[in-house]
Amino acid sequence: MAGKNVQRLPAEELYQTELDALISAETESVPTGWRMSPRSVLTYLTGNTKVKGVEITPKYMGNKRLVEIAIATLVTDRALLLIGEPGTAKSWLSEHLAAAVNGDSTKVVQGTAGTTEEHIRYSWNYAMLIAKGPCLEAMVKSPVYRAMETGSIARVEEISRCASEVQDALISILSEKRLSVPELGLEVPAAKGFSVIATANTRDKGVNDMSAALKRRFNIVVLPTPSDMETELDIVRTRVAQLSAGLDLNARQPGEDTVEKVVTIFRELRAGATLDGKQKLKTTSGVLSTAEAISLLANSMALAGSFGDGRISDGDLAAALQGAVVKDEEHDKVTWKEYLENVMKKRGHEWLPLYRACRELNG
Amino acid sequence: MSGPTLFGVRHLSPAAAFRLRKALDEAKPELVLVEGPSDLNDQMRWLCHPDTRFPAAILAYTKEPPVRTVLWPFAVYSPETQAILWAHEHGVECRFMDLPSSVFLAFAEAAAKRAALRSGEDSGEENSGEPDAPVTTESVYKRLETLTGEDHDTFWERSFEQLGDGEDFQAVNNTFGRQLRAASLESGRDLAETVVREAYMKRVIAQAIGSGVSVEKIFCVCGSFHVAGLEENQPMTDEEEKALPKADCCATLMPYSYYRLSSRSGYGAGNKAPAYFELLWDALNRGGVGEGAYLYLTQLAAAHRQAGNVVSSAEVIEAVRLANTLAAMRGSKYPTLSDLRDASVTTMGHGSFSELAVAAADTEIGRKIGFLPEGVARTSVQEDFYRQLKVLRLEKYRTAELQRVDLDLREKLNVKSEAAALGDLRRSFFLHRLRVLGVHFANLLPSRQEGANWGEYWELRWTPEAEIEIVESALMGDTIEGAAAFALKERADNSSSIAQAAAIFQDAFLCGMPAAAAHALAMLQGLSVDSAAISEVAETASRLSLVVRYGDLRWFDPAPVVPLLRQLYLRACLTLESACVGDSKAASAVNQAMDRINALQLNHEFLEEERWLDLLTSISDRDDLNTRCSGFAMAILLERGKVDEELLSREVARRLSPGVPADLGAGWFEGLAGKNRYALIARLSLWRQLDQYLSGLDDKTFRRALVFLRRAFADFSPSEKNDIAENLGEIWGVNARQAAEILMNDVTEAEQTVLDSLDEFDFDDI
Repeated sequence: MAGKNVQRLPAEELYQTELDALISAETESVPTGWRMSPRSVLTYLTGNTKVKGVEITPKYMGNKRLVEIAIATLVTDRALLLIGEPGTAKSWLSEHLAAAVNGDSTKVVQGTAGTTEEHIRYSWNYAMLIAKGPCLEAMVKSPVYRAMETGSIARVEEISRCASEVQDALISILSEKRLSVPELGLEVPAAKGFSVIATANTRDKGVNDMSAALKRRFNIVVLPTPSDMETELDIVRTRVAQLSAGLDLNARQPGEDTVEKVVTIFRELRAGATLDGKQKLKTTSGVLSTAEAISLLANSMALAGSFGDGRISDGDLAAALQGAVVKDEEHDKVTWKEYLENVMKKRGHEWLPLYRACRELNG
Repeated sequence: MSGPTLFGVRHLSPAAAFRLRKALDEAKPELVLVEGPSDLNDQMRWLCHPDTRFPAAILAYTKEPPVRTVLWPFAVYSPETQAILWAHEHGVECRFMDLPSSVFLAFAEAAAKRAALRSGEDSGEENSGEPDAPVTTESVYKRLETLTGEDHDTFWERSFEQLGDGEDFQAVNNTFGRQLRAASLESGRDLAETVVREAYMKRVIAQAIGSGVSVEKIFCVCGSFHVAGLEENQPMTDEEEKALPKADCCATLMPYSYYRLSSRSGYGAGNKAPAYFELLWDALNRGGVGEGAYLYLTQLAAAHRQAGNVVSSAEVIEAVRLANTLAAMRGSKYPTLSDLRDASVTTMGHGSFSELAVAAADTEIGRKIGFLPEGVARTSVQEDFYRQLKVLRLEKYRTAELQRVDLDLREKLNVKSEAAALGDLRRSFFLHRLRVLGVHFANLLPSRQEGANWGEYWELRWTPEAEIEIVESALMGDTIEGAAAFALKERADNSSSIAQAAAIFQDAFLCGMPAAAAHALAMLQGLSVDSAAISEVAETASRLSLVVRYGDLRWFDPAPVVPLLRQLYLRACLTLESACVGDSKAASAVNQAMDRINALQLNHEFLEEERWLDLLTSISDRDDLNTRCSGFAMAILLERGKVDEELLSREVARRLSPGVPADLGAGWFEGLAGKNRYALIARLSLWRQLDQYLSGLDDKTFRRALVFLRRAFADFSPSEKNDIAENLGEIWGVNARQAAEILMNDVTEAEQTVLDSLDEFDFDDI
């Protein structure tokens, strides 16, 4: 993987050794179209063991039971819908599920306001269409189409951002498990093993609310924000280490106390109360997710590596925090200021340098 | 086999109950011994009664306070229950074989004493611990949980409840018990208790053998934990048996509820989902554990629909499939409760448990309450309670659901019988008596509107705790009324202030118990001789006043109360004036008392008006009392129409004259504004005088006066403030609306800064 000069490798290539080890160590029955048994998929995702001498790293560090439910859903060839706040590892989990089940996590439809029905079904190569007329060569198959043909998993990201007609296009595919191409008089049945993993954002609720008919075709798993400080610290630490290795940042790993400070600030502002629950706080307009904390730390590392001495200074951290917390100028600025004065200032000398740096920036 | 059959079970396990019946059918024993209090064998008769509905529980309690209780709950799916029922059906003798309840209670007492010694404080709470869960096994369960990654109930369900027909349940279970025992054998008192119990059980078995029953024909049902103990330990000798501590106790059978059985209500040895376990029991009898999944999911869907949600059959089908897959991933044949619940959350609940919470509680815990036939060995108080419930037609409220009862205490004139005419009143007496006894069955809600003295609003909910509380009150008397009378008398004898005694008197009055009321009244009389604070006297008097005014509604003769009321009134009148000397903190309490006495005098003609008015005038006139009290006395006089315009204006001028210190003047005004505000607002002259007074003050005194005036106006309503604004507008010649607009507007930013700067202002400095 080091040889390829690619910014981000798909999961199945990044973790190829782990996947190979799991496949070769397989002892249980493998569902049609899958590369390994459901239990091995679970091992791949939750990790923390060694298989044939290969260390399996944990991919999803939250509730193991949720992963189990997600996998079981795919076994029953139902479609899976992952719902959660931004940054609760929905896409991350979906990618790794597809990678483990099919060894291919790249059949993705990104849901946006501009996504059309063709992205779900198929479109045409118009030059070819004019030259040859409707034929298979002139057809451009969508990721969902290809997944149906091969009996594998298609991913639809941010499904609630798509217009409702696009969502409706999925309904017939999920219930009939066939896709018709009237231009060619073709009916494409889904091969065994076909399924869809969709993700949706709770913050987007109401943008394009999913219809009851579509919801009914999914098993829904809600991914929570990390339940306790320890889990979140763990996630942030691991992911920051992985990220910085991939990005060749010339900076040292952030110290234990730095990670702890960031996670503390994020958890407190997210929950609207201090960790001990004694003080109520205003919450910010943006979502302070775990993913945001990870990118914040990577960001500060980049700052420190490129312009500093390679160690994350309080100034770097303050700049990154300012950017993460203050999204909506007026409101967040006040929230942040109140937090600085009422909470951080009173935390004692360890927090003092960070408090000063933040205060300077926030004005 | 040399010994008797030992069938190890888990208490409250449907599979164990099911297999036990099969094993009994096969073994055809002549004597069935069940783990349970050996002195309470006669309770079995009632458990087998055709009208008995489970869950029920045997409750043993000490006769001496503090009452300690010990409970043996029986659900329909308890192996013990099924063993007893089997024996009854087949005409086989059945007995309990565990330590007698008296010994358990003696142990509990000793444990409580030790705990009290250890902690140095009294932890005298009743110790209703289930006798079958030695603490030591908990640690093993914990270890198991970390090993399997599932909670203990799920582990049990997967490993034992789902054993197939081909597998030897008895052997598997006994092995589990043996290993559990080996893993958890730690030292300690709990272990000692276990050994004593096992020795006793062994003794009962030995006695049975001695009485001529052949060993092979004895069938013992006990916790699987005890199997090894029963095999290894020696039976208890006669001397040892004599040495056992014994508490003086009684026992009764009581209906139990699934809610209480579930550990959600904090009962340690219960199982979390009694309704679900009953469903498994049904499934086993119908065709196999596998049925359970269908039963659960369809019932859950039905409950969810009942709660007003839409659940399609397709969703239920998906839930079944998902649950089965989840079970397969964990390597079990059938889904367990956690699989079923997770599957239904994913499909029916759209990913969040909260959507299904109500339906899940209904399906897993349920609202079932047991029922016992009439004539069951009950304490006489219980008998009385149930008889009264029936007579008063309150039986339908004996459910686990919270229900409201609205009572109309007035005599109904359009019905024939006397009982019907006074039905609600009698209910009220009954419910108040329960309240006095501390039985948490009925909860009195605050009355809805001022003056609705004939209405009473209650919330009723039956819990097994209430039953226990009723049983506990057996110590105080044989009937609800008798026990309530005893409780009131005891409280009255221990009361040390007139307010306490008055509260007890009121309780007795509400309970419709004249004798108890008379006793409380006598106590009250005795206590009232001692000096008491004016506010206490006023509060007591107003409680008594209520009784005098509305006594006939409750068929209570108020005559004996009147002399005491007179006495208290006189006392209040004599001490009020001196109480008015005090700082402003005390003044508000004094004013409240003054208000109460005023209401008292207005409500009862037999209380001398002359004396009261003279007193008020004196307080109002005197300059050396707290000015707030003087102002308030003035306000009362004004309200009663005893002050004419001229007097008021003279008094205002005198109190608010420039020479008087600002705090005294403003304090007086605050007292005056404490009552009857509309009369004040309507008097324009008053506001003119206030205006003149304020404009005459210099800056420093004005600041000082401001603090007090601000407080005086603090609890005026917006509309009252608006009226004042209009008055002032009139005086200043400003358009009333303009003035109001300025006063009612939100503060501007500039004003806010001024106000903020005032925050630093230290009022203490002035």
